Amino acid sequence: MIKTDVIIIGGGATGCGIARDLALRGIPHYLIEKNDFAAGATGACHGLLHSGGRYVVNDPDAASECICENRILRKIAQKCVEQTGGLFVRLPGDSKLFRDRFLKSCEEVGIPAEVISPTRALDLVPTLNPVLEEAIKVPDCSIDPFRLCMLNAVSSRNTGGGILIHHKVIDIIKEKNRCVGVKIQDQFSSQIKEIRARLIINASGAWGDIVARMGGSFVPMTLSKGSLVISNHRLTNLVINRLRPPSDGDIIVPNEAVCLAGTTSIPVSDPDTIDVDPAEVDIIASEVESMIPAFGTTRLIRAYPGVRPLLKAETDDSRAISRGFRIIDHKNGMFSILGGKLTTYRLMAEKMTDAIIAEFGLKTPCTTAEVPLEGQEELSGYPLSKRLKNLDDIICECELVTRKDVERIINNIGTKYIGDIQHRTRLGMGPCQGGFCTYRALGIMQEMGRLTPSESMEVLTAFLQRRFKGIRPALWGDQLREEQLVEYIYLGLLSMEQKT
Amino acid sequence: MSIRSYDVVVIGGGMSGLMAAIRLSQNGRHVALISKGDPVCCLSTGCIDVHARADNPMDGIRKLPESHPYHLVGEAQIQKAFENFIDIMFETGLPYSGNIQANRRILTPLGSAKTTCFVPCTMLHAQTQSNGYIHVVSFQGLKDFYPSYITSRLKNTGFSVFDAGVPTTIGIATRFEDRSFLQNFIAWLKTLEIPYGKIAIPAVLGIDNPVSIIEEIESELDRKVFEIPTLPPSIPGLRLFRALKGFLQAKGGDLFWGKEIASVEKLDHQIEAVTLATSGRSSRVEGKAFILATGSFISGGLFALRGNTVRETVFDLPVYLPGPRDTWFHEDFFTAGHAIEQAGIQIDASFRPRQADIENLFVCGSILAFSEVMKYGCGHGLAIATGNAAADMCTRHLP
Repeated sequence: MIKTDVIIIGGGATGCGIARDLALRGIPHYLIEKNDFAAGATGACHGLLHSGGRYVVNDPDAASECICENRILRKIAQKCVEQTGGLFVRLPGDSKLFRDRFLKSCEEVGIPAEVISPTRALDLVPTLNPVLEEAIKVPDCSIDPFRLCMLNAVSSRNTGGGILIHHKVIDIIKEKNRCVGVKIQDQFSSQIKEIRARLIINASGAWGDIVARMGGSFVPMTLSKGSLVISNHRLTNLVINRLRPPSDGDIIVPNEAVCLAGTTSIPVSDPDTIDVDPAEVDIIASEVESMIPAFGTTRLIRAYPGVRPLLKAETDDSRAISRGFRIIDHKNGMFSILGGKLTTYRLMAEKMTDAIIAEFGLKTPCTTAEVPLEGQEELSGYPLSKRLKNLDDIICECELVTRKDVERIINNIGTKYIGDIQHRTRLGMGPCQGGFCTYRALGIMQEMGRLTPSESMEVLTAFLQRRFKGIRPALWGDQLREEQLVEYIYLGLLSMEQKT
Repeated sequence: MSIRSYDVVVIGGGMSGLMAAIRLSQNGRHVALISKGDPVCCLSTGCIDVHARADNPMDGIRKLPESHPYHLVGEAQIQKAFENFIDIMFETGLPYSGNIQANRRILTPLGSAKTTCFVPCTMLHAQTQSNGYIHVVSFQGLKDFYPSYITSRLKNTGFSVFDAGVPTTIGIATRFEDRSFLQNFIAWLKTLEIPYGKIAIPAVLGIDNPVSIIEEIESELDRKVFEIPTLPPSIPGLRLFRALKGFLQAKGGDLFWGKEIASVEKLDHQIEAVTLATSGRSSRVEGKAFILATGSFISGGLFALRGNTVRETVFDLPVYLPGPRDTWFHEDFFTAGHAIEQAGIQIDASFRPRQADIENLFVCGSILAFSEVMKYGCGHGLAIATGNAAADMCTRHLP
């Protein structure tokens, strides 16, 4: 049995941020994540580092937090953030009144906002719809949520914190009505371990209520599904927002070689059984097309759903719910941290850690706003030109991942999960969505003795199923052609087991 | 503008277009074949799947739904089409073998068994039913071939890795055309002292002369040798394509390769000519009749738009659609036969498109509605049978 001071449940941005804050304040801790880092809402968002513009009219407090954290993250997480800048574009028919309120609120909150002419906007983003009336430039950025989580975890690892990914909390140990530890299960070996701690932090996002209930309490949450689609081109170098009250399909964010466009907002009850409906893809595509016409004819390589863990509110419209966050002391040795968003993860972690420190009767101050994330200097993979240095033995042609990259990850983290390799190298993230390279990566894992051939077949089967689920809602045009090829390879040529 | 006139203009250079064009040439017609590029056939295993979901392909065909285009060809004509194909391939120097009444199961790179009907001679010994020892040879760095998949699944197998100096299938296949490389390879094989059984090699044994290369390895080693089809780009698919294309040229067919059709000229109920998109002066290709063999989505004969629409890309013919987009695909990747596979051109008994009001246009191959080539495993087979049949119907139509 392991003993520590704090157990954090959840390896999203919030959990990883808390682990880092605890590490910098010298508190021993363990972080438990049932999947890989950023597997929930953190990884299923559009990777936007908000300027605050999105919320400035309806929720100025949240907008104020955003711009403040935006400035901090640009400083401390340079390698995770691409300082793209963003535009709010007003199309014919969009309300001028909203535009006036937007500018006024930006001034009040302190978000730099510059009105630019259609000509200037088209200079910046030539793919914009030329009918636009005007644009407002704000400091929106693109951020890599997965990398952000990993780097937060580096600080924690460097100071001896325990980070256990692919471990699921199966029970919370209680003594005299107090939560004193967790039972966790290794998702690969099924082995069960116990960890005990003075405090347990529930940072499990959409799974927050499920975890709280294991500890004998509950949290008031509303889950809202937001679906996104990925285009196979980087159609814009700036984040493009629609200048109107938040609604479906009003944002497109550049991310490495692709763009993420979204979103929708649909209330859901179970975070484990969500799917993208083809109708959602149609809505996003046609809305984003009105801002960037080329989006309508670009291949969409995947659609995926995320679940926003929002604070419970009286209203039915999940978009009207505050994007603020809340810390709940269950008074039984467990705290839950709820709501919030990726942009404010550090602030959330700071407030949560302040509460932990107070609980322990300490006064160590937070330094996460000043100390840059450790481990950034070792990052490879971005920009693309770096990857072009070594073109030998390319395994993933779409994202230029080499055999050496794959072998390095397998050796470094000793993984048996194909997802771990994908997240760390971008293998399989391009237009074919792993249709070719996953088979190769599994072949390499097998050669290196990490997987038996039958395990590798199981992984391949599960991967193809998951991949198809992501592609299915957006199958038309050239993506449909690609899909027929992939189907031919696995079902025709390789004759994988078929159901009839 | 350059103008060329033909008896028949075939559009689409894949299996069905090639077979139709060859058949028309055999029928004594002057043929042009227009293709926008090398066909999907080059990505295939080179094996001819006739109906892969039955032990006996002909039985399988008999049990197909009434709407399936195989039924329009008819059993006798199907048999004749394959006899013709076997004869053609024999003449090209890349002989095929197989039995229309019995499928065979050949080894795949995963160690599974692929059901198919006719195979090139390089895969003659690839049947998985026999229990003898198989020694798998792989090549250093070949990224789509992992012999452990095979050796772990099949008992009584082993493998060795040869360094060919290049990691791609096409690179290695090109090297095999070089005699000294082949001799080095044979010398290396001898050092393995494979005691008995067969030798399995990924399909890289030369591009133009696989038959003589295999024969030489077999006679030097005194072991049976066979090829395992690889992931695209696939050499056996490329060989099949090149053999058929060469055969058509030898029969006097003209090729317009790398050309897309810019416009179609139609008068009353006849297609008169197509104009090709070229960088220089445009060229007009006239025909007394036309054959459409542009394939399904994967080949670009059909194109799906985001709305619930599928377009036929050359003549804008009416397309049968199974339903709106949310019904096109199963949720399960491994359930063969998505509904969208039924999409395509509906034809009448003379292989003319229905509801199009064009008298001199004939359609064949996987662009046909209800062909469902993945569901039934019948891609190349259907191309051969309907290519042959459409060509015969077209011949009958011509004066």
